[in-house]
Order: sequence, then structure tokens, then C-alpha cells
Amino acid sequence: MTFTGSNVRNNRVAVVAAGVVSPLGFGLPETLASLQAAKDCITPVARFSVAQCRCKTAGQVADERLLEDLPNAKYGHQLHRASHMLIRALQEALAHDQQFKPEFAVIGTTSGGMSFGEDYYRSLHRHETLRNMPGWIANYPPQKPVVDALDLFGIRSGCQVIANACASGTNAIGHAFECVRSGRYQRMLTGGYDALSELVFVGFDSLQASTPEKCRPFDRDRTGMVLGEGAAILALEELGSACARGAHVLAEITGYGISTDNHHLTQPDPSGVGARAAMEQALRRANLEASAVDYINAHGTATPFNDAAEAKAISDLFGSGVPISSTKSMMGHSLGAAGAIEAIFCLLALQQQFLPANINFRACDEDIDLNIVANEPHSAPIRTVVSNSFGFGGTNASIVIQQTPE
Amino acid sequence: MSLCIAGLGWVTSLGSGVPEVWERLMAGEEASAERVSDSIGQKPYPVFRVPSTALQNLPAHPRLRRASAISRFAAAAGLAALHDSGSTFDDQGVKRITLVFAIANGGVIYTKRFYHDIVAAGAGAASPLLFPETVFNAAASHLAAIIGVTGASYTLVGDGAVGLSAIRMAEDLLSNDEIDYCLVVGAEEADWLLCDAYRRWRLLRSTPPIEPFHNPAKGTILSEGAGAVLLGRNGSIRIEKTHPGTYYATRREAGERLRQILEELGAGRSTTVISGANGTFIDLAEVYSISKVVPSATVYTPKPSLGEGVGAGSIWQVIIGAQALRTQQLPPLLHAPANLPFQIPTSFAASGDVIILSCGLNQQVAGLRLSN
Repeated sequence: MTFTGSNVRNNRVAVVAAGVVSPLGFGLPETLASLQAAKDCITPVARFSVAQCRCKTAGQVADERLLEDLPNAKYGHQLHRASHMLIRALQEALAHDQQFKPEFAVIGTTSGGMSFGEDYYRSLHRHETLRNMPGWIANYPPQKPVVDALDLFGIRSGCQVIANACASGTNAIGHAFECVRSGRYQRMLTGGYDALSELVFVGFDSLQASTPEKCRPFDRDRTGMVLGEGAAILALEELGSACARGAHVLAEITGYGISTDNHHLTQPDPSGVGARAAMEQALRRANLEASAVDYINAHGTATPFNDAAEAKAISDLFGSGVPISSTKSMMGHSLGAAGAIEAIFCLLALQQQFLPANINFRACDEDIDLNIVANEPHSAPIRTVVSNSFGFGGTNASIVIQQTPE
Repeated sequence: MSLCIAGLGWVTSLGSGVPEVWERLMAGEEASAERVSDSIGQKPYPVFRVPSTALQNLPAHPRLRRASAISRFAAAAGLAALHDSGSTFDDQGVKRITLVFAIANGGVIYTKRFYHDIVAAGAGAASPLLFPETVFNAAASHLAAIIGVTGASYTLVGDGAVGLSAIRMAEDLLSNDEIDYCLVVGAEEADWLLCDAYRRWRLLRSTPPIEPFHNPAKGTILSEGAGAVLLGRNGSIRIEKTHPGTYYATRREAGERLRQILEELGAGRSTTVISGANGTFIDLAEVYSISKVVPSATVYTPKPSLGEGVGAGSIWQVIIGAQALRTQQLPPLLHAPANLPFQIPTSFAASGDVIILSCGLNQQVAGLRLSN
């Protein structure tokens, strides 16, 4: 017996709604204002002790705002703050398009409700018996915030939760894009989330991947990343279906590439081969030449290895002219949320025709030949953008987002 | 749209090798439990461990030198599934394989060790060697490196239903003609910490056996290992239909969600259901849904023999369903009550379909239908 996928369609895939919570703000308007102001949203870590860490800062979402005017009071305070972030992002997206009825959800994360796991372990270690242990355990798994958010808004669809480390958010968008493009689904929710946790923060610190200084992607004197947190949701729909019901199309996703770089569990191949393969595949799926790209939202963690490999891959493929920035310089690296949040930055850049800034940039690295959007955003005519995310495990993901012709 | 099973592999508490473990299941064997304890708690718990002999054929690889148990289980099962397909994969062939990994708890042993050092001695004691192995996709990364996969590799996280969700994702991926095969691997490693969590969640039993379908539920026993299914477009066993899955908001809803899945999968009168019943509340949800939709079904659960393997569990169910179709036999259902509203295995009808049903303990439900 034989099954072939030869009837696969190449549907166009529209983004019809979006929602975001990040250190840059709650919702698209606040986020846009922060991006246009090139706001540095990195602050001292307050959630746990960082006294023994090299890095002491992160991009953080304010709890008091997360818990303001909860969409449903019964959900109250028992849920993880990651759930609250995802709920806020989904609430905004569904408010943009109240007719959107998703068939399926694909969401990225790296650590779910990790801080509940930490609370549980600390209590065990102290031999405490706490009544809320079962609640921590039940709300710790990575799928729980997704189910919480879907359930709150009465969406009964299934969901897949991708945990491909720091590429998770872009992988989720990319897989959802492919599912709509192939005709397997018409409407999907996608995005990513992650909340700051001590285990992950200390982990990156132990690797000396995070910095005690400012986060300076692609700078000669870069010394590492800072972590961030947040959530973002994108509603994807087959373009014809979206137009037929009069949905407002924010942009189109036109390409996705994924590759696996087997060089090392935590370090990219220095040649940039994995990153380049993902970008090439995304361009090929979009039927685009590299010269058509107007802006690249880089993964740009500001670690010496990542930025060097990514810069090599970009300059080999695109040359040194295309404007590039890492918006992680403003809000930190939100891991599984990063790709989704950065996709929303790209949507805003396309809508408002500007290039988001790579802040804290001081000096060019002589080994990096890129056109960095240094420190200030610029107005620019842009129609096509690429957003990159690369992660531990050698996962590389790139998507192409384009302005939809009127 | 359907897809086919091209190869199978597993590592279980009854050993490895699909024919070998199948023989033991057919003989009504169940794994023996080992009691595990930990310095942070006084209470020991029973666990069905993978015997060391199950990994004796795992080739040495630099990626596995420091890797956790879950990575070794996954590598052994994944390589066995590739071998079982009878195909050889050269560099070009490997480029057309994607990897979908399914896990629930991931590398819990290293995660606990890493965080224990932070709690006990502060952040300055954290090990940079352990941290990378705590990341959910570490096991998938190791397996990709061992096989040489350079294309897509996804790690899905979820509850016991995640394995079926991974097969659904594989079906989505195989709609792309650039991909020939998708290797789906579900894996889990057991640790005292998980047992403690499940006990506080009121899901664990203090001693074996696992007694499925009892009311009230008596609890489950955790196990570890991996299952791997190589999916492609040719093979003797066909996956007729996958369900995208859904979730239950409350435990009371679980039966209704499973009923919905069974109806949408198109269960026939001669259906066999490979159930995920594990001695917890999900058993009654399965009894409800099966008795509503396919009361004539023959139902088998492997959990009394293999334990609750969570991320690996539903892939084991798929392997058992495929073996049932291959051999036209089903193992005996162990420790079930006598008065069930459906058939328990005696003989297996040659014309029947097999439905794999999975109700996870943390709200996710999924199913698929196999035939030959």
C-alpha cells in the first residue's frame, strides 16, 4: 500500500490577528511604542536571588499588570504566570478577530511552569508538607498554560507544544504555517511563551552564556545574553478564507525553514551551516531570492559563538547590505517565546515601515560584516522580512513574513 | 489521508526487541518493580525499571557519554526502528528523514541533580555540564546526531497522549514530498521525584500490580523506556486515521472527550482498542467511552505489564497495535475485573481495525486507527 502526499496545496497563509505580552509592553500598541522608542527594558532580577550569579538582570513582565482584570476570576491566582501571559496574548488576538475559530494550536515553549517545579522541589528539600503541592504539580507541565488559555476562551481544539529550545516559537509558527499551506488546516493558533525561572536563569549563567553587562548583539565587545520572558500569539488562516469573511490581514507568512546542526548540544557550527540552511529553505519555500529581503530580525543572542555563526551565515547568503537587528537587546531572550514575539515585531515593522533597533551597540566587530540597525530605529520601505531563531540541540528555524499586496 | 508503519523499536521494563517483549506479553508476564528512594524524602516508591541488558546492543557514540537515561533509551529504540524497516539510509536518505520526539517529563534525573545543587549550595554550585541535558530537546538532539538527521527535528511535550500527537505531527510533515520517513520516538526516564509528584497528585499505587478498570481506581506504577515508530508511505500496517486530539477541562469530562474521539475515528464493530488504562481515573473514562461507542470491542491495556511510561506509553500502545495486526493475536489482559462492559482478549479477529486510545493524566486526549 502506498500513501503519497502529492496532492499537497500551496495555500497562501495570512496572519489575521496577533497578541503579545513582553517586557516591552502589553499588547501591540504598547509594544510598538517601545520599539519605536528603542526602549531598554532590562531590569534587575527580583523574582529569585541572583547574588551568586554573574548576570543579575533580565527582561521581566510585571506581575501586577498580569493579574489586573483577569478575563475570568475563577482562574484567579492558582495558575502559573506563564498561563497568565499566554491568556493575555490570546485575549488580544481574539479581540482583534472575534470571528476567528481555530481548528488547532501549535505553541512553543522551553520550560512551561518551571517555577512551580522549583517551588515543589524546595519544599521537599526543606521537608515541608504544603497544601499547594498538588497544584504546583498539576500546573507545572508545559502544555498546561496552553490548555488554560484555550479553555478560558472556549476553544476546544487540540494542541501541540513544541519544545525545541530557543527555536521553539519560530518552529511553532513555521509548522502551523506549513499545516495551513498544505491545506491540512484552514485556521490555526500559533505562538510561544516562557516565564523567567531560577533553574533556567542559573543554567545559562553557569554556562557563562549570560552577561553581567549590557546585552550587545553583534558588537565587538559583546559578552553574552540576558534572559527575558513573555508570550505571543498569531492567528493564521488560509488567505482566501480570510478574505472571504472580510478578515483584516496583517501580513502573510510565505516561507519556513528548519535545520538541525549536529555540531554540539549547546554551540552552533561556527561555519553557520545550520543557520544558513534554515534561511535558504525559508527563502526557497517563499520563492524568493535573498536580494528580496528588506530586513532580518536576527536571533542575535549576543553570545560570542551565536552571533559569529549567525553573522557568517547571513553575510554568506545575503551579503552585507540588508539591515539587521537583534531586538533581544531591548527585552532579553525570552527563549520559547522569542520567535513568536519577534514575529510580532516584524509584523509591526511591516505595518509601520520601520526597522527596529539593535540597542547598546558601540563598536563593529571586524569579523562581522553586517548592516546593523544600531541604537535607533529607522524608517524604511520594507516588504519582506526574515526572522531567525536558533537553539540548543542544534535546532535552526527561519520564517519569511511579507506585506500583503492591497 | 493515511500513512504506514515501516519499522518498530522499543526499550521497556520487559526488555528490548519487539518480538522478544511481545512474546513475554503474550505469556502474561509483567515487569518486576524496584523500590527507589531519595535523600530528600523518606518514602520509597515502586518503579518498573529498564533492565541493563535492554541496552546492551546500543552502539557507543560520543553524544551518549554524558547523556541521561532517557537519551539512551531513545537512541536504542530509534535505531531499532530504523533497523526493523530493513532499509539502509545513506547520506542522501538520512536527509529525507525527520524526527519527532514525544516526552512528558524529559531528563528529570539530571534536572533534579542540577537544581538540587542550586538549592543545597547556591547558584555558584550549578553545573554547566548538567544544564544542557536538562533541556527538553536534548534527547532528540543526541538521536539526530547519532543518525545524522540534518533536517527537521521536533520535540513535543505533553502528557501520556503526547506520543499520538507526535504521530499526528508526523502525518502533517509527511504531506511534504521532500520527506520520505518520519521517525517518531516517545521516551521517559523514571525517578523518585516523579513518583513523589504522582503520589501527591493521588495517582500512584504503593505496590504493584496495576489493576486496570477497577472502580474505585487503585493507582498506577511509573515505568521508563522508549518506543519508536518509523513512518513512511509504504508498509504492511497502515495508520488509517489520526485524530488531532483535544483536552478535558475537568476529569468528569474525560469520558466525553474520548467518546468524541472514538466516534470521529470511525470505530467498527470488530474493533480492538489498545487502551491506555493504567489504574487511575482515566480507566473509567475509557470504560465510559468504549461502552458508549464500541461495546463489542475487544480491549487490551499493556500498562499492568509495562507500567505507566507516560511519554513512551502511547508509542508502546501503537507498537502493540501493530503487532496485534501482524500476528493476529493479543496478549491477555491482566488484573482486570470480571464485569467489564466490553470484551477482553481471547482471540483476535483477522478483519478488525485497531484503535489506539490515549487519555493523559494532565488533560490531553488523542487517538488513531490502524489496519493492515
